Amino acid sequence: MNIKTNNNEKCDYALQDLYNVIDPEIGLNIVDLGLLYEMYFDEDAKKLECIMTLTTQFCPMGEAITSDTHNSLEQSFPDWDIIINLIFEPAWNMNMISMTGREYLGQ
Amino acid sequence: MTPIIGGLQKTTNYRVVLPFYIYASLGLLLGTTLLLFSTKDLFVHYFNPHILALTHSMALAWGTMLIFGASHQLLPVLVEGKLNSDKLAYLTFGLMAIGIPFLIYGFYVFNVGAPLKIGATMINLGVLCYLLNVISTAFKNNQKNIHAWFAITATIWLLTTTFLGLLLVFNFQTPLLTNNSVYYLAVHAHLGIIGWFLLMVIGLGSRLIPMFLISKYTNNKILWLIFALLNFALISFLGFYLSGAPTYLYYIPNVMGVAAILLFGRHCYKAYKIRIRKNVDQQVTTSLISIVLMLIPFIILIVTIGAIPKAYINRMVMLYGFTIFFGWITAIILGMTFKTMPFIIWNKVYHSKAHKGRTPAPKEIFNNKVYKIMQLCYLGDLPSLSLASYYSIK
Repeated sequence: MNIKTNNNEKCDYALQDLYNVIDPEIGLNIVDLGLLYEMYFDEDAKKLECIMTLTTQFCPMGEAITSDTHNSLEQSFPDWDIIINLIFEPAWNMNMISMTGREYLGQ
Repeated sequence: MTPIIGGLQKTTNYRVVLPFYIYASLGLLLGTTLLLFSTKDLFVHYFNPHILALTHSMALAWGTMLIFGASHQLLPVLVEGKLNSDKLAYLTFGLMAIGIPFLIYGFYVFNVGAPLKIGATMINLGVLCYLLNVISTAFKNNQKNIHAWFAITATIWLLTTTFLGLLLVFNFQTPLLTNNSVYYLAVHAHLGIIGWFLLMVIGLGSRLIPMFLISKYTNNKILWLIFALLNFALISFLGFYLSGAPTYLYYIPNVMGVAAILLFGRHCYKAYKIRIRKNVDQQVTTSLISIVLMLIPFIILIVTIGAIPKAYINRMVMLYGFTIFFGWITAIILGMTFKTMPFIIWNKVYHSKAHKGRTPAPKEIFNNKVYKIMQLCYLGDLPSLSLASYYSIK
């Protein structure tokens, strides 16, 4: 897990809830799965931008995962504008799964 | 408030996919019911009305409709692009859904007039709409993708199959072909079995099985080799059959087919060996079992060519067809259907409710116990039915 951020404290706070966002097919949370790339907090504008990916661009569960991520961040930061941006470069690969994630999957 | 989510690609609407799944499950029910009430017909010549109705229930209403539904959902995943047209998908469903009952009824009562002709024509139009959608989806996105080429080629073979079927239907009353319709049955059947089902199942399975196992194994060279072997096997078989070549030459397409399946099995085994997800669920297990079941019809064919006296050939053909439609095609479809279906339902019912209170996971809306019972009944029944076919040979 190596998420770029401009505010470590707020990022850690956001992650507490994001650990509950599960990829429904794999059954693993999006943090340990390595789907989160960057998280930027604009304190003045109260704006949070989350840059993330999916395991595949046309993942049938993509809408569910991103909506769940949005709802989770909205709970953590109720008065903030939450923007989720999906990117596919770099593409997700299995090396992005954390050690905890690998253990969960039985490796 | 609608969440701001940039870069999200919409997947195929569940309304496109579900009608195919529902129709296909009714098709399987019809096929198994016809089997139950046509057991006597199994032991006469395979060209009889009830067996033709049964075969087309399994091949079209069950196998093809389910693959159509699943591929409308999965093709975008394979080619990394949106399905080109929902309207064409609806049109495909409408034409097939009306055409198939006409065809099955026409065969069952053996009315070679309007029912068969209407059914065959509508099915051809339905397949044409599907082909246009597959080609436009693949070429609009990543046409160099090997999985897309499997899907395109398989659908071209399917259209060839249904077009020959249409000619055979008209040939019953008006001679269009140089031989009678029974002569072309082997061509019609193998175009469908190898060209459509086997190519499509391997094209989709070679991507989906590693994906479901969370395995990074991929080998495009081997997949291209499998693609070439299957297409050459089919073309050489057609050439030998239509030119009246000696029987021993049929070993060539057979060996190519067996080699392709073994290579596909190797592909899945390698993906399985380096998988990250250690617990393999029941549905993927069924899909893996189906790879072994793929080999059985080829072994039956090799034994038939080399060691079975002519008097027993009709029974072996029945056994061959049975192990294809009730064996590997049904096994792979059951595995992949129950793997993808909970997600389609979950996406429709629960995705907007995620993180807004307790929502079940997709696997929780699927009854694993019932699936296990179904799998046991199915796998337990297969050898007994095959043995029954074997002992019926006098």
